[in-house]
Amino acid sequence: MPILEIKDLQAGIAGRQILRGVNLTIAPGEVHAIMGPNGSGKSTLAQVLAGRDTYVVTGGSVRLNGQDLLDMSPEERACAGLFLAFQYPVEIPGVSTSYFLKAALNAVRKYHGQPELDAMDFLKLMKQKMKLLDMDTSFLSRAVNEGFSGGEKKRNEILQMAVLDPKLAILDETDSGLDIDALRIVAGGVNSLRGPDRGILLVTHYQRLLNYIVPDYVHVLRDGQIIKSGDKNLALELEARGYGWLEEPVAVH
Amino acid sequence: MTQLMTNTSYLQRLLPSASDSSPGPLWLQARREEARQQWLRAGLPKNTDEQWRFTDLSPLAETVFSSTAAALAAAPSSDGRLPGIEAAELVLVNGKFHHQASRLPPAPVKIALLSQAAAAELKIFEDLLGTQARPTHHGLSALNTANFSDVVLVEVPAGITVAAPLNLIVHAVGAQPFAAYPRILLKIGANSSVTVVLSFAGPDNLAYLTNSLVETYVGVGSRVELVKIQREGTAASHIGSDYVHLDRDVTFQSLSLNQGGLLVRNNVTVTLAGPGSQATLNGLSMTAGRQHVDNHTMLDHAREHCASHELYKSLLAGRSSGTFTGKILVRPGSQKTDAKQTSKAVLLSSQATMNSQPQLEIYADDVKCTHGSTNGPLDDEQLFYLRARGLAYNQARAMLTSAFAADVLARVWQPALRTMLEDLVVTELHRLEREEF
Repeated sequence: MPILEIKDLQAGIAGRQILRGVNLTIAPGEVHAIMGPNGSGKSTLAQVLAGRDTYVVTGGSVRLNGQDLLDMSPEERACAGLFLAFQYPVEIPGVSTSYFLKAALNAVRKYHGQPELDAMDFLKLMKQKMKLLDMDTSFLSRAVNEGFSGGEKKRNEILQMAVLDPKLAILDETDSGLDIDALRIVAGGVNSLRGPDRGILLVTHYQRLLNYIVPDYVHVLRDGQIIKSGDKNLALELEARGYGWLEEPVAVH
Repeated sequence: MTQLMTNTSYLQRLLPSASDSSPGPLWLQARREEARQQWLRAGLPKNTDEQWRFTDLSPLAETVFSSTAAALAAAPSSDGRLPGIEAAELVLVNGKFHHQASRLPPAPVKIALLSQAAAAELKIFEDLLGTQARPTHHGLSALNTANFSDVVLVEVPAGITVAAPLNLIVHAVGAQPFAAYPRILLKIGANSSVTVVLSFAGPDNLAYLTNSLVETYVGVGSRVELVKIQREGTAASHIGSDYVHLDRDVTFQSLSLNQGGLLVRNNVTVTLAGPGSQATLNGLSMTAGRQHVDNHTMLDHAREHCASHELYKSLLAGRSSGTFTGKILVRPGSQKTDAKQTSKAVLLSSQATMNSQPQLEIYADDVKCTHGSTNGPLDDEQLFYLRARGLAYNQARAMLTSAFAADVLARVWQPALRTMLEDLVVTELHRLEREEF
């Protein structure tokens, strides 16, 4: 069974159609990249999958491990194993990172009928995961993303992914705002989370990220449709030639 | 003509009849008479008065308040205690000191009552009572002076550090609508340190009025924290007027925590009367239903090199409403004044409203005065971020509302009191969450 199965997904915002029939299937263990010019609908796709209610789904279906995703609230989706690494991680003053992460982890565990982690086990888990991303434990006492540098915010996203252990991770423009050193660390973290049971969907404008997280499949999104799919070489071609050479959308049903 | 008669009758109705009031010393009789006259002239403040624009007191004129005398024998409930804290407790029932229910603070902290004062104490009352709360400030403060049944004086002598908080529990007790006029004097000597808590409590579903007046005098170099926990009954009106007079080099902090009452107005007037003092005023209001809480502060920078810092926060659910007015007066010559004022409100429902207005009057040229205010719903992006990590909608909201309140509570000096207040606020936020929004 595929981890993610998107069929003819149509969605928009305030009467404006953005996604015009997206089809995409991700099998366990696969890493897919969605590329596309600005305004093609990449981020909309990521937000719609995570359940952002500013977008209205007008047609199509999405299944996560066979479950109807579009019927679920954002928190149900997260608990069922969908994770969105935000392009712009949100600052939450007054809430410490450890309090937040512990609440999130325990919400997911509760959903799966697992007992809550106590403070000791939680800290042990955190230390292990933070090492992966070269993060200092002082992060834990800081308010979520408040005053974090761009690199720290993105590392924090991947840390959350590592802790929550999702079935499907969607990384929305994870490379934006990262210098090359930070990019290497973040990509290293993502690569360590690749595995036979997990699907990863990278949403990116630039090919740079794909040098470090090498995808199995690359798709080009334009005007709300996937107009071309290929392997990692498609990304290199896009980098060299831009998006202009691609023709009008073709049906990929 | 009918209107005039109605007005006159409610004004008279709210004053004690001649037989109720004990005569007392001459100076007291004179002050009471002055207050009576002022009340009859001014009456209840009206919305046309800029300082009362957002708070409608007309329900008070329509209520017939009965005498509170019958309730005085009643044993007060445990409301107003500070769970988990070893505090001296001074219990007032409808403004009268309740000996049996009180747990007096150890010497050298002194408690005195105007009704039983010895000559030396009487001098303190004469010197301080009504010195800050001039009858002309507003009709309600005059009404308190005309009506109070006794005055409780708490005196902390110079050079004393009082470790445990002093908790003044101000109970309203009655079965019919009534009006209570608690009156308190706090006199803190030089170089002393103390935390005083004022806990207001009363019965639910009863349209009573607490019109309280607290005058505080802080001597040179002292460090004083004043925490007000307002948990009046669900149908109560609460008018609280706090006057604070700071000598030089004082560090003063207050917290006004409001969760009870239907119609609430807190007047806080702080006079920085000596150079080098700093005043920090914090507020946290949590309202639901049709509650209205109006925080009205006045910082009188009367001397140079003083700092004031205000942070008032409100969480409003249901159809509740809030007001914050921050008046800052920098008098001529009060150079190097540093005044900062912030009001923030989270509207938990689309029908909740908040008004905030700064009022700056600056008559010195080398000063720093800033103000800011933000009102709005909980941040959608934050809410979505938390939910996208698996937190249920209500859990995510609760996390954001407690985070909003956190920095105000974090400022409380006494650690045990801070913890207690944090617990109280969490419970209160659950009440707001249960409210339709």
